[in-house]
Amino acid sequence: MLRRCISAEWMKLRHSRIWMILMILPVISVLIGSANFYMNQGVLKKEWYSLWSQVGLFYGEFFFPILIAICCAYMWRLEHNNKNWNMIMTAPVSATNIFLAKLIVVGVLMFFVQLFFLALYFIGGKLAGITSDLPVELTGWLLRGWIAAITISTMQLALSMRIRSFAAPIGIALCAVFIGLGMYITHLGLFFPHSLLTMGMGVLSQTSLSAGESILFAIINMFYIAVISTGAIYRMRKSDVAA
Amino acid sequence: MRAISLELYKLRHKRLLLMITLFMLVEIAWAFMAASMSISRNPNSAEWEVLIAMLSSMNGLFLPILTAICVSRICDMEHKGNTWKLLLTFSVKRSTLYAAKYISASIIMLAACLLQVLAITVFGFINGFKQPVPLILMIRFLTGTVLANMVIIALQQWVSMAVKNQAFALSLGMIGGFIGLAADLFPAGVRRVFVWSYYTGLSPITQSYANEKIQFIVRDMSSLLPGIVVLIAAGIAIYLAGCVHVSRQEV
Repeated sequence: MLRRCISAEWMKLRHSRIWMILMILPVISVLIGSANFYMNQGVLKKEWYSLWSQVGLFYGEFFFPILIAICCAYMWRLEHNNKNWNMIMTAPVSATNIFLAKLIVVGVLMFFVQLFFLALYFIGGKLAGITSDLPVELTGWLLRGWIAAITISTMQLALSMRIRSFAAPIGIALCAVFIGLGMYITHLGLFFPHSLLTMGMGVLSQTSLSAGESILFAIINMFYIAVISTGAIYRMRKSDVAA
Repeated sequence: MRAISLELYKLRHKRLLLMITLFMLVEIAWAFMAASMSISRNPNSAEWEVLIAMLSSMNGLFLPILTAICVSRICDMEHKGNTWKLLLTFSVKRSTLYAAKYISASIIMLAACLLQVLAITVFGFINGFKQPVPLILMIRFLTGTVLANMVIIALQQWVSMAVKNQAFALSLGMIGGFIGLAADLFPAGVRRVFVWSYYTGLSPITQSYANEKIQFIVRDMSSLLPGIVVLIAAGIAIYLAGCVHVSRQEV
C-alpha cells in the first residue's frame, strides 16, 4: 500500500516544475560561494576545504533548509486545495502511509538535490582551478546532511500539514534557521534539527564528528523523525479535517 | 478605498500581523545583539548609528523574504479559495483590485518598518544612549526601507499573481534575500541592478573597514538621490508591467 501511496505522490508532482526550484537554489549557493572563494584565494588556502566552507555556508546554513521547507509545503499544497482533504481522508489508505509516502518522496528528492550539489561543488572547484583530490570527509558530510535534511523534512511536513497557508511554514523555517544558528553557537547544536544540519554537513567547522558524536547524531535524528512523524500521524488520525 | 479595507478585512483572521511581528522580533533581537557587541567593543563610537547600520544590513536578508511571504499570502488566498472569478464578477476593474492588494501589502510592511524604528528608540532609551534620538537619521532610514520594500512588493505581487504555484514567488524572495545580504560585496554597477540591494544602498549609515576597525559614516542625502530616483522609476515600471500582465491573463 505504501508503494502505491508513493507512486500517487510522484504523480501529484508531475508538471509541477518543482524541479526547477530544486535546481535553482543549489546553483545560486554554489555560484555565490565559488565566486567568494575565487576572489579571496589569498586567504582561503585549504583548497577543497575552503571551497566547502564558502559553498556550504550558503547552502547548508540557509538555502537548503528553506528548499526543504518549500518542497514540504508544496507536498501538502494540493491537499489544502479544492477540498482534497476530504478526498484523501476517505481514500482506503491509512494516515501512516500517506504521511510516510510524502516523507519518502521528499527524502528521495533531497537525495537528488545533495547529489546535484556534489556535482556543482566538483565543477565549481575544477573551474576555480583546484588540482588536489576531493576530501575524504565529503561522503560523510553529504550523507549526514541528508539524514539531517530528513529530520527537517519531517518537521516541515508536520507544520505544513497543520498550517493551511503555503508561506507561513517557510517563514517559520527561516526563524528556525536562526534559532539553529544560535543553538549551534551555544554548543547545543545536537538538540535542534536545523543545527543538526549545520553540524552534519560540517558547514562551520570541518573537523569530522568523532565516533561517539556520530552515533549520538544518528540517534537524535532518529528520535526527532520518530517523535514528530508519530505526532503528525496521530493528529491526522484523531482530529477532524477542515477542507 | 473600499477595496483596500475589504482586502484588510479578508486578512483579519490570518494572523498575518502576529507572524510579521514575531519575524521582526527575531530580526531585531539578532541585529541588536550584534550592535551591542559592537558597541561594547569600542565604546566611543556613535551608538544610534551602529543600531541603524546593523538593522539595515539585516533588513537586506529578512525583509525580502518577509515581503515574499506577506504578498504571497495576500494573493494566494484568492488562488486557494478559487475566488478570482467571484471577485471579477463585481463591477470593479482588475487594476483597482491589483492596486488594493498592493496598497494593503504596503500598509502591512509599513507597520513592520515602524516597529523597527520603535524598537531602535526603545533600545536606545533602555541602554541610556548619551545622544538624543537622531530624528533625521530615523526618518531617512524609514524612508529608504519603505521605498525598497514597495518596489519589492510590486515585484513579488506580479510573480505571486501571475504564477499560481507560490513556490516560485517564495524562491524569488529567498534569492532576493541573499542578494540583499551579499549586496555590499558586489561592485557598485552590479548593485544598482538588483532592487534588493537598496536596503543597505539607501541606508543613511554606511560601514567601512579601515585599519581593521569598523567605522560608521553618515551618508550625504545628495549622494543617495540618484539611487532613489532609479529605484522609484524601477518600482513604477515593475508595478505597471505587473498590473497590465495580470489584468490580461485568463482566469
